[in-house]
Amino acid sequence: MSAESDTEPASPAAAPEPEPIAEADGEPGGIAAASPTTRSLTRRRVAPAAGAVVAVAAAVTAAVLAGGGGGHGGDSADGKGATATQAADGLPHTAIDVSTGGCGRGWGHPHAGTQVFDLHNSGSAASEVYLSDPKSGKLYGELEGLAPGTTRQMLVDLGSGTYAFKCLPEDTDAVTGPSVTVPGHQPQGAATLPVTQHDLIPPTLAYQQWIGARMGDLARGTGTLKADIDRGDLAAAKRDWLSAHLVYERMGAAYGTFGDADGAINGTAARTPGAVDDASFAGFHRVEYGLWHGQPAAALKAPAAELDKNVGALRDGWSQARMDPAEMGLRAHEIIENTEQFELTGRTDYGSGTNLATARANLDGTREILSLLRPLLTPRDPALPRLDSAVERLQHDLDAAGHGDAWTPLDRLGRAQREQINADTGDLLEQLAPVAAIFDVRRTA
Amino acid sequence: MSDTRDAAGELRRRGFLRGAALGVGTVGAVAGAGAATAALTGPSAHAATPAPAATPVAAQDAPFHGEHQAGIIRPVQQATAFLAFDVTAADRRELTELLHTVTDRARFLTAGGTPQALGITAPPSDSGTLGPQVPRDGLSVTVGAGASLFDDRFGLKDRKPLRLKAMPAFEDDDLDPAWCHGDLSLQLSAPHQDTVLHALRDIARHTRGGMQVRWRLDGFTSPPRPSGTPRNHLGFKDGTGNPDVGDPATAGKLLWVGDGAEPAWTTGGTYQVVRLIRMLVEFWDRVSITEQERMFGRAKDTGAPLDGSREFDTPQFAQDPMGDVIPLDSHIRKANPRTADTAGSRLLRRGYNYDRGMDGNGNLDVGLIFVCYQQDLERQFETVQKRLAGEPLVDYITPFGGGYFFALPGVRDRGDWLGRSLLA
Ligand code: HEM
Repeated sequence: MSAESDTEPASPAAAPEPEPIAEADGEPGGIAAASPTTRSLTRRRVAPAAGAVVAVAAAVTAAVLAGGGGGHGGDSADGKGATATQAADGLPHTAIDVSTGGCGRGWGHPHAGTQVFDLHNSGSAASEVYLSDPKSGKLYGELEGLAPGTTRQMLVDLGSGTYAFKCLPEDTDAVTGPSVTVPGHQPQGAATLPVTQHDLIPPTLAYQQWIGARMGDLARGTGTLKADIDRGDLAAAKRDWLSAHLVYERMGAAYGTFGDADGAINGTAARTPGAVDDASFAGFHRVEYGLWHGQPAAALKAPAAELDKNVGALRDGWSQARMDPAEMGLRAHEIIENTEQFELTGRTDYGSGTNLATARANLDGTREILSLLRPLLTPRDPALPRLDSAVERLQHDLDAAGHGDAWTPLDRLGRAQREQINADTGDLLEQLAPVAAIFDVRRTA
Repeated sequence: MSDTRDAAGELRRRGFLRGAALGVGTVGAVAGAGAATAALTGPSAHAATPAPAATPVAAQDAPFHGEHQAGIIRPVQQATAFLAFDVTAADRRELTELLHTVTDRARFLTAGGTPQALGITAPPSDSGTLGPQVPRDGLSVTVGAGASLFDDRFGLKDRKPLRLKAMPAFEDDDLDPAWCHGDLSLQLSAPHQDTVLHALRDIARHTRGGMQVRWRLDGFTSPPRPSGTPRNHLGFKDGTGNPDVGDPATAGKLLWVGDGAEPAWTTGGTYQVVRLIRMLVEFWDRVSITEQERMFGRAKDTGAPLDGSREFDTPQFAQDPMGDVIPLDSHIRKANPRTADTAGSRLLRRGYNYDRGMDGNGNLDVGLIFVCYQQDLERQFETVQKRLAGEPLVDYITPFGGGYFFALPGVRDRGDWLGRSLLA
């Protein structure tokens, strides 16, 4: 399921994911930057090219000022006074200052409902801005990397309660603005407690250990597979290939940390003719291809030995590895994204027809990471019970396609069964997406 | 030609080709008929009947709430997506939840507005493909239930609309099971394709666990060329002859279910038939204009019946009992003989062109998403379809999919939801 390890970078499976524009323009490095080969992390954690960001910021500032950007609140369409105006989007707008000295200034007429804050950074450093409940610490909105001199919008849905803006300029302590009370009895909008890097260290260490414990199984598995092939027992090799591969497929959250080793162990071949014969095609899928395409044991000895060697090296090096805590939430979500993209499409099938077994192993991996995140997730995700039942449902329906070692190949699923698995997977993904959002690492001080 | 085609079809097509090879005689006869047409359409042209709907392509809004779903009566729009879904919801409670969700999404999407702000708790609630504000763009969302929804899964067996069943294969059909039937139908229509796709993405996102797309075909309506009803891929104006369902009496007779024999919950609904019909346009383009016009019984340029001069002239079949002008087996004559006996079989057509790329043999894969609505499947659609069996047009078209659905009663107000009368 490792997209990043595809042997041909230009193949669709390895296409880079789009970057959300809002997040691409700079993000203070609160945590260790991820390795650029880690597809999922690169998606969110673009290492900011600081110089370029500032230059762009300056240009934007000039444009805003030239366009009369200072006029926020100038024309009071709804008569609410100088700070709340009705804009073209039909929503009430309030201009808010973001700076060390004046964080949150400008919120004169608090009111409930969906509304926009036009956040203007009048300071000299890029800043993160949170709208929080100062008592509970829950966040109602955030804006990352607001460049000096720029104005950007924060859309929020506010109920009755007390709020304060929090400004977190780069390299400076956080400043909390004045508390503001929205009157009345309106229910409050979506909010949750932020997660810090510190919060994530214990589960990350625990996960690293869990992976470490699996490494032994994995090395034993590829050792057995190699021995089968050396002996020329290809029936045993097929069986042992599957169990070793599934051990690997349960480790989904660690692939980013595995780095290039993931490509060597679990890479796929390009779709172009002849790519499966290319010497760079290696690892589990190379062996799978040979086993299920009638290649003789002699032809598989080298690939099996190489796989076993690479797995051994991965195991030996693991005690030195350091997982990025920011990976935890992302992987909790994206393991199943990869399952949907590469397993449920059959992209990674090289003849064994075991994509559903892989999907099931991926789900185990997701369960493990969710269980480690659970203490942090429980107070933060009110939809956790729905998420749990979505996991159960997919597991149940995948299990129905497995009969011991024999798994129904994708193309042999009946229509109803296939639709059910697609439905379960899609639903689970919708439930997992908030987990990644919640576990986006945030500064609090 | 597919090998599942019936023997009669094979014979007829070969027959046609043989006729073409014979040449002159046949063409001469046709030309003669054309001359007769010209003679008739001169001074004796019938008084034009006013165009039923002045603008065949809707641009105006239709309110989401009402006794009937808005997309049924509403004229065709520029863009559409027609989908059939299989319900994956586990039980009746989940089905109810699913229909609530579809209703909520449809209500928001048809009204437009600011998508829900979810703060840091989730990715954005809207795809943003229509910008930060979802515009009110004339979207209509039409939902129907297929016969399979009334099997044992949801305890709805005793509630099946009287005439609802799986669409059978008709004489000239070549149905692909992958493109037929479904538990639910969903049609999204709007003036712009991005609005349709945005709505589809939104609804799918909110209902992934509860239903899965079984098949989907996107369609479009062309602009009037140069005027009047838009044309289909065969170059003919398509949609001219429709009952005036703006007239409540007509709609009550032909469209809305209200028959005492139907389950009470169906009131306000109507039977929806969709037929996915491939057109063999390359073949069609190799057929003479006279032949083409005689197949439909209408002129290709103006859309007028062959005995008239303007599009909305009413054909006078009674004055042409032998079919000298409008052949007896022409499409419009078979589809609507315009006699007192056949008045009850009229139906409301809301078809769209589709284009889904190329076929393996290098031909365009285009055709018609034929959609029609009627009070009674048998009295109307099936009767018309059977009358059309073996018409000359069948050599140039291949119905390959579709289904029968019951378009649910409308959502009356904010407290109501699609399927309430069925499930509550
Ligand atoms: C690809 C297949 C078809 C094509 C190309 C086609 C085309 C046309 C055209 C060009 C007309 C004349 C203009 C008009 O009144 O709209 C027409 C009329 C009509 N068609 Fe079709 N049609 C097709 C399939 C069907 C089917 C499957 C049915 C119903 C079973 C049907 C029922 C009718 C009816 C009821 C009329 C109106 C007749 C009248 O009231 O004068 N058509 N069609």
